[in-house]
Amino acid sequence: MLKPTPTLDPDLPRRYADFTTLLEALNYAAKGIRGLNFYSPRGELESKNTYSQIRDRSYEIGQRLVHFGIKRHSRVALIAETNEDFVCYFLGCQYAGLLPVPLPLPTSFGGRDGYTEQLHQQMKSCEASAALSAAYMLPLLDEATSGLNMRFVGSPDTFEAQASKSEIKNVKLPEVKPDDLAYLQYSSGSTRFPHGVAVTHKSLMSNCHGIGVNGMDVNDGDRVVSWLPFYHDMGLVGMLISPITCQASTDYIATEAFARRPIQWLKLISKNKGTICSGPTFGYEICARRANSTDLEGLDLSSWRVAGIGADMIRPNVLEIFAETFKDSGFDKRAFMPSYGLAECTLAVSFAPKFVGYEVDLVSEEVLNGNVKSIKEYKKNGNGANYREVVNCGKPLPEYQLEIRDENDVVLGEREIGRIFVKGASVMVGYYMDEEATRQCLSADGWLDTGDIGYMAKGSLYIIGRIKDLIIINGKNHWPHDIEWAVEKLPELRSGDSAAISTPGKNDEEIPTILVQCRKRNEEERIELENRIKSEVQAVIGTTPTVVLVPPRSLPRTSSGKLSRVKARRQYIEGQLS
Amino acid sequence: MTLSTSEIFDQVCELMAPYNQKSLTLETGTTFAHDLELDSLSVMDMLAAIEDHFDVTVPLNILPDLETIGHVAEAIKNILDE
Repeated sequence: MLKPTPTLDPDLPRRYADFTTLLEALNYAAKGIRGLNFYSPRGELESKNTYSQIRDRSYEIGQRLVHFGIKRHSRVALIAETNEDFVCYFLGCQYAGLLPVPLPLPTSFGGRDGYTEQLHQQMKSCEASAALSAAYMLPLLDEATSGLNMRFVGSPDTFEAQASKSEIKNVKLPEVKPDDLAYLQYSSGSTRFPHGVAVTHKSLMSNCHGIGVNGMDVNDGDRVVSWLPFYHDMGLVGMLISPITCQASTDYIATEAFARRPIQWLKLISKNKGTICSGPTFGYEICARRANSTDLEGLDLSSWRVAGIGADMIRPNVLEIFAETFKDSGFDKRAFMPSYGLAECTLAVSFAPKFVGYEVDLVSEEVLNGNVKSIKEYKKNGNGANYREVVNCGKPLPEYQLEIRDENDVVLGEREIGRIFVKGASVMVGYYMDEEATRQCLSADGWLDTGDIGYMAKGSLYIIGRIKDLIIINGKNHWPHDIEWAVEKLPELRSGDSAAISTPGKNDEEIPTILVQCRKRNEEERIELENRIKSEVQAVIGTTPTVVLVPPRSLPRTSSGKLSRVKARRQYIEGQLS
Repeated sequence: MTLSTSEIFDQVCELMAPYNQKSLTLETGTTFAHDLELDSLSVMDMLAAIEDHFDVTVPLNILPDLETIGHVAEAIKNILDE
């Protein structure tokens, strides 16, 4: 019977990403006996790969890519399945001096055109020269690459059939330097105007070092168990590259398998004694929702010491339900470790201290709505009707300088709310081939405007929301202008008639809400329009939004005439718009 | 015993009962997104129930083509026949 790579390796001293490039890190990990293991949707081990096997195959793929004649620094799109093919092509691109671009898989029913269009836009924006996916995905990939200038579109098998091993034997690989780009990350961009975050080896090593030392404090008994997709920064950097650069064995189940049977993730943690297993809040939510008594039988989560939380707004009540559900299975809620990060900083910015659970401030809605700028009371007793729990996301990694600034770029003090700016080695060099978008968030002296708002207290960071107006549903980012654009295509609407915002639901989840200026008076016509708006938005975000028709010219504008979503949101929540 | 598409459709409809919160009459043309207003997570819950019932795995690449209950019934039929 196949056995996964071991947790312990008595002979290889731990190093924490103190390498110059990802390839040097891989080479070091390959000296040991640990590696990556891929499990089936029903939890059987399907493929075991030591780091040395991964290094050898990636090296060969690197030679094949060079032999094929793809020019140095070209972009290679990879539909990011959770398997060793993706991992070895991602690393093979590193050997060949190419830039891999992980792209998403379909996540739900329907929406074929939207999915292929998204892939198309992403590959177009980085001028990809090749695209690879598993054979069964090729019809969709062919559609997505139509009209693009590609040297190769196909599966790993057909790519590797192009040359024999003896033909590539003597292919020389280029030298890779710390300042070279390692890959492009598309998870945070708009679908209509995508731009890839360009990450260098240096940034990657710096961030993985912080994650390994200051975040997770990886030690000998640690084992990672993950369901996060490789096309998302938390999955790619947190659950794949960090384990490689810190030499930890990792077990994966595919994201689509987790979405259907989330308990398999917990069973795998139980079986392999996983210790570092992270995800967004909604991942914990669906585990708790789907657990039944048969699932809990024999489940032992006592090994789990870092239950990292990130990627979306952290919702304490959901974590509480998870902890309660799995308490008798040995889950210790002190394992919860909130974090803050964004793709523009490679991945991580800050981590809460380990094994203390999460800490919250109770912050009044007055503050959250932007009416009050600094927090004086934050530990209210009694019921929290007008208060929301804001989670402590911990201290920034040592590499960062961090400032909270007001709208005039003045640096603010303790518990004063403003925009979060960071500077450090993990900050991206820019959006790939998009100087304008880069200039908008990254200053010449290296300060990144994260677009998020929050405050500092006793050296720890608290996140309140996003100034960037992003709407995040089940871990997926949606840009309001993508939604508004879709709505404003309807014949009776004009540009500027709609505002897409996110409003808090009963469990503090984000409810996508679209405010639309409507000139119709007839009730039937209004309902009919509402339904068509719902369909348009549903096609973009995969969820039915709340549609609110508002009177003409009622959406607030900035002094320059631009829609102010922040104001619109505040007015709507306070009941002034309807 | 091979099931016909309409038998599969009937069984899918039964499995969908917990997700039919608007108590719609389910037809082959009923859409998950617009008619049933299911979000992507509920869709995956439902898919898991359907897969377990028929003991099949619906591959990822056909998900984007599944807009209606009828599409799902046909997809299950194709997988069972293969």
